[in-house]
Amino acid sequence: MSEAILTTDRLRLRRPTPRDLDGFMAFARSQRARHTFFADSDASAWNSFCLVLAHWDLRGYGLFSVTARDDDTCLGMIGPFYPEGWAEPELGWLLWPQAEGKGIAHEAALAARGYIFDVLAWDGAVSYIGEDNSRSIALAERLGARWDESAVTRSKACRVYRHPARTERAA
Amino acid sequence: MTEAILTTERLRLRRPGPQDLEGYRRFVRSQRARYFYFAKNDEEAWRLFCIELAHWDLRGFGMFAITTHEDDNCLGLVGHWYPEGWIEREIGWLLWPEAEGKGYGFEAARACVDFAFDVLAWDTAVSYIEEGNTRSFALAEKLGAYWDEAATTRAADLRVYRHPHPSERPEEGSA
Repeated sequence: MSEAILTTDRLRLRRPTPRDLDGFMAFARSQRARHTFFADSDASAWNSFCLVLAHWDLRGYGLFSVTARDDDTCLGMIGPFYPEGWAEPELGWLLWPQAEGKGIAHEAALAARGYIFDVLAWDGAVSYIGEDNSRSIALAERLGARWDESAVTRSKACRVYRHPARTERAA
Repeated sequence: MTEAILTTERLRLRRPGPQDLEGYRRFVRSQRARYFYFAKNDEEAWRLFCIELAHWDLRGFGMFAITTHEDDNCLGLVGHWYPEGWIEREIGWLLWPEAEGKGYGFEAARACVDFAFDVLAWDTAVSYIEEGNTRSFALAEKLGAYWDEAATTRAADLRVYRHPHPSERPEEGSA
């Protein structure tokens, strides 16, 4: 198993590896990715996976692969994401369908957000969410993020959810 | 300096790294990239560079950053290219403008053709070159490659140049 960077009660968060390609490709080629990395070809999905991998080389951080504690199979990708062209640094989450409905995304996103503020020392973080992606909006709200209607967005159909800074959450 | 994987008389060929982004970005944002991937903005250039880096992780080979023996500055990318969706394994070359006219493209690409057959054990190798890119046609021919008009191409305006096995390539200058 690759070394975990973060662990939670049930999960390990580690740097993505080439072994995670198939799960990512299946996700990106499906309608579940319509709000995010949707790819209309295998070539396009492969290129998107390259972005996920090389983001770590270029930024020193990136989306984590989320796994169970006792199995290295990637269940989704959650973490800090800030490629060239992004308006603000993001906390992003992608969950493969077989991992849904177990609170995994919430558990991993909380850990990743702690890493963002405590280790990466970001001043703030947003999540860009398609306006009809109700599950993702629910997760953002459960995490205490609020829709910032005045923030610069990536497209008309995209909402910016702003995460509370560390001090606000502590209060 | 990052460890060289191949060396030639004048050049070092190493795996590309984050330090090579800026030269790559300038290249793909310029008109020199019109036969390759012209990037309409920095975001697209960054995404393309991610493919250059991660190709190594996913395939175990990729485009080399080429440098002189004296310093680690990347002068261009030359090497092996086979991302998802490619028809055949390719020998590719992108040379930054300041490195042109010195035979570096030929010197690096010759080493990469040999490496493709001898080390990567490819059965064959092609170079996809767009119509009008006469400098690249000339380099392909100097390397001993020939225009394979029967080969499936990736786009109507791309020629497929096929590299013969090193043992079968014509003597230099005899073509």
